[in-house]
Amino acid sequence: MNGLPGLYATVMKAAVQTQFQYRTANYAYMLGMVAEPVVYLVVWSAVAESRGGSVGGITAGEFAAYYIVWTLVRNMNIVLTPYAWEDRIQQGELSGMLLRPVHPIHYDLAFFAGWKVVVVLLWIPIALVLSVAFRPTFDISALEAVVFLVAIWGAYLIRSLLLWALGMITFWTTRVSAIYDVYFTAELLLSGRLVPLALLPAWAGGLADWLPFKYTFGYPIEVLAGSLSTRELLTGLALQAVWIGFGAALVAAVWRVGIRRYGAVGS
Amino acid sequence: MTALRLAGTFLRIGILNELQYRVNLVFSLVQSAIAVGTSLAVLALVFGNTDSLRGWSAGELLVVMGVHVLVGGLIRSVIQPNMQQLMEDIQRGTLDFVLTKPADGQLLVSVRRVQIWQAVDILVGAALVVVAVVRLPATPGVLDVLAFAAALALGAVSIYCFWLLLTTLAFWVTRLDPLVELFEGMYQAGRWPVSVYPGWLRIGFTVLVPLAFAVTVPASALTGRSTGWLLLGSVAFTVALATVTRLAWRHALRRYSGASA
Amino acid sequence: MDIEVDGLRKTFRVPRREAGLRASLRSLVRRTTTEVVAVDAVSFSVEPGEVVGFLGPNGAGKTTTLKMLSGLLFPGSGTVRVLGHVPSRREHDFLRRITLVMGNRNQLQWDLPALDSYEMNRAIYRIPAPDFRRVRDELVELLDLGDQVRKPVRQLSLGERMKAEIVGALLHSPQVLFLDEPTIGLDVTMQKRIRAFLAEYNSRHGATVLLTSHYMADVQALCKRVVVIDAGRILYDGSLRTLSARYSQRQTITATVADRAGLAGLGELVSVDGDRVTLRVDKERSAAVVAALLGHGVTDLTIEDPPVEDVIEQVFAS
Repeated sequence: MNGLPGLYATVMKAAVQTQFQYRTANYAYMLGMVAEPVVYLVVWSAVAESRGGSVGGITAGEFAAYYIVWTLVRNMNIVLTPYAWEDRIQQGELSGMLLRPVHPIHYDLAFFAGWKVVVVLLWIPIALVLSVAFRPTFDISALEAVVFLVAIWGAYLIRSLLLWALGMITFWTTRVSAIYDVYFTAELLLSGRLVPLALLPAWAGGLADWLPFKYTFGYPIEVLAGSLSTRELLTGLALQAVWIGFGAALVAAVWRVGIRRYGAVGS
Repeated sequence: MTALRLAGTFLRIGILNELQYRVNLVFSLVQSAIAVGTSLAVLALVFGNTDSLRGWSAGELLVVMGVHVLVGGLIRSVIQPNMQQLMEDIQRGTLDFVLTKPADGQLLVSVRRVQIWQAVDILVGAALVVVAVVRLPATPGVLDVLAFAAALALGAVSIYCFWLLLTTLAFWVTRLDPLVELFEGMYQAGRWPVSVYPGWLRIGFTVLVPLAFAVTVPASALTGRSTGWLLLGSVAFTVALATVTRLAWRHALRRYSGASA
Repeated sequence: MDIEVDGLRKTFRVPRREAGLRASLRSLVRRTTTEVVAVDAVSFSVEPGEVVGFLGPNGAGKTTTLKMLSGLLFPGSGTVRVLGHVPSRREHDFLRRITLVMGNRNQLQWDLPALDSYEMNRAIYRIPAPDFRRVRDELVELLDLGDQVRKPVRQLSLGERMKAEIVGALLHSPQVLFLDEPTIGLDVTMQKRIRAFLAEYNSRHGATVLLTSHYMADVQALCKRVVVIDAGRILYDGSLRTLSARYSQRQTITATVADRAGLAGLGELVSVDGDRVTLRVDKERSAAVVAALLGHGVTDLTIEDPPVEDVIEQVFAS
């Protein structure tokens, strides 16, 4: 295979091989990640219990389903962190990337996509243990399953593109951690990562509809763990496509300006 | 006494140097504000739906969160920087320089670094605790405050021991950063009192990751929950953990110098 | 005696890795280890004030020996005494009187000025303040460091960093110095600077120095005595000059001759440059060759032992 598909195949294969070697490290990362949804789950289950079984129409079993799917979606959302850009620019790695005849984002997209193969394999036992411990209630139709499989990759693309664009701020300043923090906090609160969006106050829920974060967490999770209508399922996919388009345009625009800046300043 | 003086010298040098990077204060403040804001938002969400979480009121949970932020600041300003340096030293072989110094090795590796701006969280956490306690219906007495201070100190020692134990693993395992990540994930669970968690998790958070002793027990003292027994348990646990840590450290060093091989 | 080593031996267990999936699967269950002898029956002693060079190829056991002498490694068997102490006990009295410098590793804190690291060492070694200032200023002066000690260490060049390291290692006025490749990676001028300093320091303070180096120039400049070690064993222990004499069977004769015909028969002809010829001959034949050369109209003649590098190479080859 040649061209872009060939590149993706090769880089993904390399990613699977390297990440499989680091399976113990990968597992430790994943276990650390599990702590977060377990805490949310425990807290909301307790709240549901104190209210006689459900909060905002969500039962303890549905919370369990939500946060177990959460763990898979969270893993799909692991992409190049914006912090990696500092190293990339300082160590001159970026100069090497610029010499290749392909846009560097393809390497990252392919690499992290390949990594997912390993992650999903490692995720299965974690999901089983969580299911035994928290007894989720699932009701999945064939359409939901198909939409979910598409939606998690949509989420992956949206988050990859947005964080790539964000990371490029490093071209202008290295003191970026505060900006990243703001982004991650907004994401935490308005994506469905912290709580199902239905539990947010109405104004916050309305705000979330107009931001991309929802399409990287809440939407894919609810496809599987919630009860969305067919119309909602498909509109969600369409809006994911819109955000992917937006992300791609953003990356292209920032990249063009950023690289000019990089060329002028050097490393 | 010498230990204190040594730690004092190191602390002074570290602080004097960090003072040069005053911009970092701004970043720590932003970070702290975001973290506290998020915590408050979560509290508001939860208590918008219920009046009490397994017997803890909103005001009492604010105390827990304050202690959590405070201890988190302690970890990030003093404990973690030292342990990361130790990890690097073990991997690069520069631990040799520590071992050829005429001072206790464990003491030396524990006091070398300080990131003073991260200590902003200690102040923010303390402020949060004060605000929360003042607004509680029942103001804690002097004895409760003393119990709080004692429990907090014991908890800090437990967390330090736990980190050193974790870091000691670097003598055997080459890649430790995932474990650090794991701990950070776990530490987030301490934002809630351990009694919220189901039994098996509660045991884990109490014994394996000493969140209960570092966060919940001190907060209990201020919210009228502490008994002498709880404090006594904290003392026993801390002493046991410190002993185990000391032994593990000596064992690791003996292995490092090939004495047990 | 400052250092006494008798029958020192150290072995390491290293896991044996075989290629192939099956072998690596098997090693998960049962780790096969091999015993590697790093140091084998090493004995020597060093007198106070002596400067001894430790020579040997990579993996010869130099660093392992140095680590046992400084108390970092337990000896497998045999005895080590340094300043009357058993190093592996790491008694504070012992540690206060030695120092260790490793050329490829630094102990100064990366983000802090060297001065601050010195201050930390003062606290660790409990050096009285006036002594500390006097020694520090003297060392900084001797090494010509000036204001460099006020900059964060990461901003220093490799050579400056090494000088700053050395100051930090000598603040407590140790009696025994273990120097492991102190000039590694430095340019020639910086190497010379550090060598000159070490020689000066040794003569001023009468400190005992044990030095390993890859650079023969270090050894030639500093050590009257060398210990050659290879594969964990001592091959030679004595003066540098005797080493050349013992191990080089050949000498180099350079002569300016009028008549170059038939020279090749006398020995190995290394070079001919106009009327200057260089010959390499067996040592016992050199007198005869010189005599023969006289018949060729010699105007200028020198006989040299080969450079130390060549001698060492020969030692290891034999």
